[in-house]
Amino acid sequence: MAPLKSLEQVYPTIDSNFQNFCASHSIFSVEDFLLHDVDVLVASADNQPRPDMLKQGITQLQSIVDRQAPPLLNGLQLLEDTKRNTHVLPTGCEGIDAVLGGGLRKGQLTELVGPSSSGKTQACLQSASTVAKKEKTSVIYLDTGNSFSPQRIAHFVGHTSGSVFLAQADHRSLKKVLDSIICYSVFDIFQMFDVLHQLEINMRSELLKSDNHVGLLIVDSISSLITPILGSSGPQGHALMISAGFLLKKLAHEHNLAVLVTNHMVGGEGGQQVVRYMARNAVESKLYPSFVQDSARKNCRHLPPSPQPCLPTVGRSPRALVTLLI
Amino acid sequence: MNDITVLKRWIGGDESAQEMLARVPRPFSLLPPLHRVPFRVGNVVELVGPSSSAKTHILIQTAIGCILPKNWNGVEYGGLDQLVVFVDLDCRFDIMRMSEMLIHRIIEAGGTANQDYDENLYKLCMSRFLYIRCSNTFEFLQTLKTLHYRLEKEKEAHGFCNGLNLLMIDSIGAFHWVDRASTFLPLKGNERKKLFLQTVSEAVVRETKKLMQFHRMLIIATKSTIFGDSYPTPSNVLKRNLTKDDGQDERDSRNVTRNHQNFPYHEYMPSVWQSFVTHRLYARSSDNHLVTSNHQNCPLYLLEWLMPRLNIQEKFVVKEAGIFVV
Repeated sequence: MAPLKSLEQVYPTIDSNFQNFCASHSIFSVEDFLLHDVDVLVASADNQPRPDMLKQGITQLQSIVDRQAPPLLNGLQLLEDTKRNTHVLPTGCEGIDAVLGGGLRKGQLTELVGPSSSGKTQACLQSASTVAKKEKTSVIYLDTGNSFSPQRIAHFVGHTSGSVFLAQADHRSLKKVLDSIICYSVFDIFQMFDVLHQLEINMRSELLKSDNHVGLLIVDSISSLITPILGSSGPQGHALMISAGFLLKKLAHEHNLAVLVTNHMVGGEGGQQVVRYMARNAVESKLYPSFVQDSARKNCRHLPPSPQPCLPTVGRSPRALVTLLI
Repeated sequence: MNDITVLKRWIGGDESAQEMLARVPRPFSLLPPLHRVPFRVGNVVELVGPSSSAKTHILIQTAIGCILPKNWNGVEYGGLDQLVVFVDLDCRFDIMRMSEMLIHRIIEAGGTANQDYDENLYKLCMSRFLYIRCSNTFEFLQTLKTLHYRLEKEKEAHGFCNGLNLLMIDSIGAFHWVDRASTFLPLKGNERKKLFLQTVSEAVVRETKKLMQFHRMLIIATKSTIFGDSYPTPSNVLKRNLTKDDGQDERDSRNVTRNHQNFPYHEYMPSVWQSFVTHRLYARSSDNHLVTSNHQNCPLYLLEWLMPRLNIQEKFVVKEAGIFVV
């Protein structure tokens, strides 16, 4: 959506006369127009000289609004759409895959929550390597704590670290996997917005070229970006957090990505706060290592009413208990 | 002379109470757990509750009760034969879940032992469910502004000329933080009088009211409690499980304080929305699990009527087939 001034070139009915009329109602953009009562505007246009011209402008704005309005789907269309786009990306951790019903669902945001050293990063690295190797899609990895480790990726791909006697073929496959995992070091939420917006633009322009598309986006961990901005009393921190949630969901939905974020779970009240906020904000599936709880919602319906905790082997980290929260 | 007859007719009234009763549509009741209070056209029902208190499930259940026909091929389904518009502001509606619950319901009402169901009936019901996904306030406003004629088109297609519709909004406070932190474009000279958040709510209520003038509608909106209110986070549950007796005391004392307040939660929607709401319910999940033979180990949810105040506390569980009041 745009300021009215910029619309003038495309739509001649939105001329300076109309803009002045709108300015008298403090409307400067299509957004402002949306917040106004159209009937009041039309009534007010009647009192102006040349009301027809003004009404044409109003109609023009309304048709712009119409065109941009989100689509209305009926249940059948929506279901078909979902079925066509629903694929799961196996994470390589058997336990997690079992809980999620096959893996990370494309088009959805999955959150992995747990205390320190419960294997969250290992699960991310393993998911990244599994998806890059088996699904042949790119993985975007946003690393907020310098915890990305190519050696671990190599290990997961099937090489013991430090081996110098790699066969040529193995070497090539490892290179291929590492090439398709793109890691960004991100240290504050604004950097994350930068990266995500850039990613969105790239994906939109690459939509036509189908090869080497992105299948998985990992943010490890999102809480270290969000905790610093939540401290202040103003709404800005919350607004940024919610926006981040909506942006991730939008990326997941529009480009059919699986999104995996990790979130801390520390003892104090503050850490739990983060977990709670993220939970109500965005998350579609939520994994919670080392904690057992029943749940009856969302993906869990694939499971018996009381899902048994699973034991994935998450690298060298202690074997974690994984349960689905939502 | 003519004036006097007009005046006389106006004073005389044009219908008796009996005639009016026959004309005015009867109140109707929705599926459990919303069955206690009959609703009328023009009611606005607000379903408040913390995240994961089965609010969306209640919406789905209610939607299914509305899209099902009353009778179909001689089988009684007890539906309301209506269109349902679901506006998804949280962006996490799962159509697969809805489809699953609908199928369960059709099989259950059909009374057949096998898992066959009438495909045509299923398709009819699904096509009566209309879905719009909005990821920011402006998309929501665009939706409300354009819904009138889109609904008209859908009604024509379904052959409901004067039918009742159900508008569901999940959830109304989704953009609260973002809107609260948003400001208008800076104005030259004069200041804007109102806050952005307030203007948005006013626009939402105004556009919804306009929509209700054209369509006979019932509105059900969910609202998450986004301010820190005590509700069971996993660690709380853990703590409670560890120290069962203390947890019980704590919960009791909280109940006492809750009775002193008007709301058991922090109200954050602007007053224009609050006064728009005619019915209000409060949902929450209970820490107790029901252990009976047919609802084995399902988490228990509670639903209270806040407006009108009823002394009944609805208890229900969510199972694969839907919501069951216990």
